[in-house]
Amino acid sequence: MAWIYDYAPAIALFPLVSFLVSLFLGRYMPKKGALGGIVATGFSLAFSVWALVHLAGPAEPYHATLYTFVTGAGDAVTLTFGILLDPLSALMLVIVSLIAFLVHIFSLGYMNDEGETGLPRYYAGLGLFTFSMLAFVYADNLLMAFMFFELVGLCSYLLIGFWFREDAPPSAAKKAFLVTRFGDYFFLIGVVAVLGTFGTAAYAGEHSFIHMAEAALTGDGGDGVRTFLGMGEQAWFTVVGMLVLGGVIGKSAQFPLHTWLPDAMEGPTPVSALIHAATMVAAGVYLVARMYGFYALSPTALGVIALIGGFTALFAATMGVVKQELKQVLAYSTISQYGYMMLALGGGGYVAAVFHLTTHAVFKALLFLGAGSVIIAMHHNENMWDMGGLKDRMRITYLTFLSGSLALAGIVPFAGFWSKDEVLYETLVHGLGGRPLLLLGYAMGLIAVFFTGFYTFRMVFLTFHGEPRTDVAEDPEPVRWNVKFPLVVLGIGAAVVGFVNMGVLKNVIGDANLFLHEWLAGGVEGLNAHHYTEVLETVAGYHAAGLSPFVAGAASLGLAVVGVLAAYRLYAVPEPVPHLERLGSVRTVVMNNYYQDEYQVWLATGLTAPLARVADTFDQGVIDGVVNGISSVSLFAAGRFRRIQTGVVTNYAALLTLGLVVLLAFFAYVGGWI
Amino acid sequence: MAILPQFYIVLSAGVFCIGLFGILTRRNALFFLMSVELMLNAGNINLVAFSFYYGNLTGQVFSLFVIALAAAEVAIGIGIILVLYRNFEGIDVTEATAMRW
Repeated sequence: MAWIYDYAPAIALFPLVSFLVSLFLGRYMPKKGALGGIVATGFSLAFSVWALVHLAGPAEPYHATLYTFVTGAGDAVTLTFGILLDPLSALMLVIVSLIAFLVHIFSLGYMNDEGETGLPRYYAGLGLFTFSMLAFVYADNLLMAFMFFELVGLCSYLLIGFWFREDAPPSAAKKAFLVTRFGDYFFLIGVVAVLGTFGTAAYAGEHSFIHMAEAALTGDGGDGVRTFLGMGEQAWFTVVGMLVLGGVIGKSAQFPLHTWLPDAMEGPTPVSALIHAATMVAAGVYLVARMYGFYALSPTALGVIALIGGFTALFAATMGVVKQELKQVLAYSTISQYGYMMLALGGGGYVAAVFHLTTHAVFKALLFLGAGSVIIAMHHNENMWDMGGLKDRMRITYLTFLSGSLALAGIVPFAGFWSKDEVLYETLVHGLGGRPLLLLGYAMGLIAVFFTGFYTFRMVFLTFHGEPRTDVAEDPEPVRWNVKFPLVVLGIGAAVVGFVNMGVLKNVIGDANLFLHEWLAGGVEGLNAHHYTEVLETVAGYHAAGLSPFVAGAASLGLAVVGVLAAYRLYAVPEPVPHLERLGSVRTVVMNNYYQDEYQVWLATGLTAPLARVADTFDQGVIDGVVNGISSVSLFAAGRFRRIQTGVVTNYAALLTLGLVVLLAFFAYVGGWI
Repeated sequence: MAILPQFYIVLSAGVFCIGLFGILTRRNALFFLMSVELMLNAGNINLVAFSFYYGNLTGQVFSLFVIALAAAEVAIGIGIILVLYRNFEGIDVTEATAMRW
């Protein structure tokens, strides 16, 4: 069994092979590269599951260096590629490869059957995307993670802009790339800061930066930690953490760098599913979870994460309420749900965050694929006001979509209920335990539960219930098995995945039956949930107040049900009307996404561009002016001096003589002869 | 009665000045060559005069070397003048103002 570890790198390499095959040979293959992708991700899934099962046994986590590309002499930094398989990364590998596998199958129906062109490029992009994300997940150091983080961003650019002949997709792709790059600048500086501070970027082991940082703060050891700018250790660690957080905010689409994600809906729907559920957006939250031992050392960083998360959860949920396109609603729900994960991480709920990441991956992939199925049926019309009544005509899509929606809204017993409740519960107990700031994040998260329930079921009722509002909705195009199969798998998943960690029933079923808690509590020394809880208490001062999980669970479930009922009252009628137009100017503001795009464009054109122009003028005028001035002075002087070089021998002789006479006169004067 | 050394020096200075004057005013390369010879010989006169004054022969031997050197120099100078003539169809030194053309 242990040989699985020797083949662990292959988990990511299968999709890389599929990328190369699709790129070079896809044209000649029967399904234009789809089959290769399915086989490769299938193998990745099998190996990941195997690794997970192996790790669930008595096996030790696997940590190995694969390749050293810079060997530092003496104190210098050594840069390596390595692989770290512990409970967290094994779990994430299974999620990513499962979603990628299903998305590949779904693509058969969404891309091949629809007669799209450029399919080898599409499948090559999917393969590279999956490869980058898997390698990012099992990276054992921050630098390797950064490299694949960037590669993930590149792949999203390629896939969002897949239909590059139209106007909107290339612009959306550029926006996604640039906005996430803006965050990645901070991440890059953060990586350099980590290397400069600790001399290593490894996650695990005695000489990892997480362990060194913790040792430095708890006072035992911590040699070789250098802080900069004259800061104390904790303050400096906070700064480093915030720098890395910049990349997280960009990738995980947190406020204020969330604007790229709704635009990214221009890409093919399976790509949206992949981006939102497993790759790209998940990368940010996963990164924080991966180096949680580092963030747990800084209450300031945790507070910032919690507030950004809570605010994003609420902010995005309100925008999701008014959208008219199916995928736009889902896009804002993604932003909102990742806000919950950030809230959990900031609120000291490491397990809750990973739990929500897991359940969200399942139900959000399901919702996007379901939306893709609806879009096929509707001949690529995404406006929900043109749909209606699809539930009888698309039975399987409706049932699975409903399962995903119940999970998203957080209705018991679907997956999202358990995880979202745990997120809120963890934040609440740590807030009550002496961190009042977290209560603010909790309040925002709790209000967002209502909006989530409302917009989710507004979407469901508008799409599937009532009377068909157009001819296409009257007679939708049927979908085939390759669309239904992923939907069924994920639909069942969305219903049952939550049972791995029924936190609300903790007092009834006992701690030992919270499987995810147990799972994440094991693993590498100093890199597991058990240890994080200790660090949170001793270093960050997070204490859990005693509170029955039933109370918090009832509150969030109650609000979710209220949201669903409100949507039911308003939209579950044969002929729904756009009620939200009664909101008037409020709706206009929300519909325009609170003018986030406008103010960011203004920042670029109204503030940055003039500033850049001033700097350019200064550069051209003053800096270049000085240089040019010096050179023109010497040019002018040289031009004048050149004239004495006539080339006429007589002149030289005359100058020689003259010089001699002058010298004679000088020495005569100095020598006192005259 | 022996001639005083200052007379030699005056003679030498005179010959040198004549040579210098020739270099500064003439344009013909042959006159240049002659003027340079004059200046060299002014130096020779000095060598011989001082060696006579101090009563040792080193200066006189040295002047023989200078004469030999001057002969070699004239040979090269004539060669240059020939080239000059070939290229400029004249031996006016003010015409050849560039090292290469």
